[in-house]
Amino acid sequence: MNAQLESPPETAVLEIAPETVKLAIKDLNFFYGAKQSLFDVTVSFAANAVTALIGPSGCGKSTLLRTLNRMYSLYPGQKATGQVLLDGEDILNPRVNVAALRARIGMVFQKPTPFPMSIYDNVAYGVRLYESLSRQDMANRVEESLRRAALWDEVKDKLRESGLSLSGGQQQRLCVARGIAVKPEVLLLDEPASALDPISTARLEETISDLKSEYTVVIVTHNMGQAARLSDHTGFMYLGQLVEFGETEQLFTSPVTSRARDYITGRFG
Amino acid sequence: MTAIADIDVAAAPRSARGATLDRAFEILCFSAATFLLTALGGIVISLVIGGWPAIAKFGPAFLISAEWDPVQEVYGAAGAVTGTLITAALALAFAVPLSFAIAIFLVELCPPILRRPIGTAVELLAGIPSIVYGMWGLFVFAPWFAQHIQVPIMMSAKPGSLLATLTSGIPNGSGIFTASVILAIMVLPFIAATMRELLNTIPPTVRESAYGLGSTTFEVIRKVSLPYVRTGAIGAVMLGLGRALGETMAVTFVIGNSHGFPTSLFAPGSTIASTIANEFTEATGALHVSSLILLGLVLFIITFAVLAMARLLIGRQANL
Repeated sequence: MNAQLESPPETAVLEIAPETVKLAIKDLNFFYGAKQSLFDVTVSFAANAVTALIGPSGCGKSTLLRTLNRMYSLYPGQKATGQVLLDGEDILNPRVNVAALRARIGMVFQKPTPFPMSIYDNVAYGVRLYESLSRQDMANRVEESLRRAALWDEVKDKLRESGLSLSGGQQQRLCVARGIAVKPEVLLLDEPASALDPISTARLEETISDLKSEYTVVIVTHNMGQAARLSDHTGFMYLGQLVEFGETEQLFTSPVTSRARDYITGRFG
Repeated sequence: MTAIADIDVAAAPRSARGATLDRAFEILCFSAATFLLTALGGIVISLVIGGWPAIAKFGPAFLISAEWDPVQEVYGAAGAVTGTLITAALALAFAVPLSFAIAIFLVELCPPILRRPIGTAVELLAGIPSIVYGMWGLFVFAPWFAQHIQVPIMMSAKPGSLLATLTSGIPNGSGIFTASVILAIMVLPFIAATMRELLNTIPPTVRESAYGLGSTTFEVIRKVSLPYVRTGAIGAVMLGLGRALGETMAVTFVIGNSHGFPTSLFAPGSTIASTIANEFTEATGALHVSSLILLGLVLFIITFAVLAMARLLIGRQANL
């Protein structure tokens, strides 16, 4: 009787241990012009862990990702208020050097975005911007990055060919290799597997699991199985709000909020 | 069984009419394409026939000699060809960097409130008739240029130096250089507008990926955006070059119209198109007319060669 009267909480956000926090988001609001698309998001992402963001289309999960590397500041009219602390430093501060910031926070997009240059140059591109490596060191860095992205064996004999000549799945792994070649601290993945076939997806997921030993990974995904397989923490977003955030296992087996429960059990979205 | 029969009956009239229409459509399109080829072939043939007396008289010397003397009835195209190539090349040298910068500014850097006015201005520039450019060039730009640029440069150039050689001549403002500047202004909007469209075709995520690796705006443009549209950019430049080679009225106004090789950048000269425009109505001798027609054929071949080169370049780039 008593249990029925007690309604579940509207939102439930787990606070992770302060010493493990890499990215701390506080009271983040986001606006596309006059339209607000994030509402008071407060959450922290742990270092060396994979955090998944799930939710129906348009819930703001990609928008949240795009604030974490200030990608939105390319577009006049988009603005964010609140704080995003990377190792305690507020990256929303207008005085932050966004180019240097983005070198620390890598991003991989939904569709593969190879640059119009050779496979080798694609991977070396970001490295050349910030480091001047010897020819041998650069070759090693490219090989290491391609290996970690599980692409090396497929391209090692054609590094001079255009990145555009690869298949979609290979292109996406090339983009992952390009992203990790600059050794960022955080890697943001925006539905990286949505355009891939199942085999490529599986390989990409292996790559992501390997990456968390060194990186803080935040992945937006539509695929709940993927979120469950890959992530340590999961956040469920709905209509621009972070509804529930917690340990992945807990969120998928016993969600606290009714909206997360409805979404995960497939009642909507 | 009945069902199958029904379908056949119902489908027959529609597919029969469709096939007839389709056939008619094919023939229509084929005729249009054939018409184009016929017109092209006809122009080439009539140019060859019209120019034949000059070909028979001068042979290959027509292309090598710069002598153009209606009184002696001696004609050579080299002066006009040189003038055409120099003005077109100079015009591109001015217009390409400028128009790339304009396009990049419009696409990547421009505040949204300025985007429309500047974009419209570029398009309006393309819409001004060439005769207006010519008049403006002759009455406004040339005197200004003579007074404020030509004279100071000529005064400051050391006699005998390369600069002095390049800038010698009468400082009246009309000449090869002025024609090139006017041409540059005329081809600029075409290249800029095409480049803008090309840059707009770059998927936003590709640009964002480049920014996401920590690139500055300049690095994104130089290393990702421009290579991304490389093929189309070559096409845009060649489009501008084609226009610069054939432009007639504006050049005729400001180039000074003197035959023979141009002696310096500021010296008067002529292009193929300006020579034809100037002399066609006054050409009396059959050989004079024939030589002018042959000049036209030469211009046609040059333009064709430029377009063919562009095709080759684009083909090679596409294979990269």
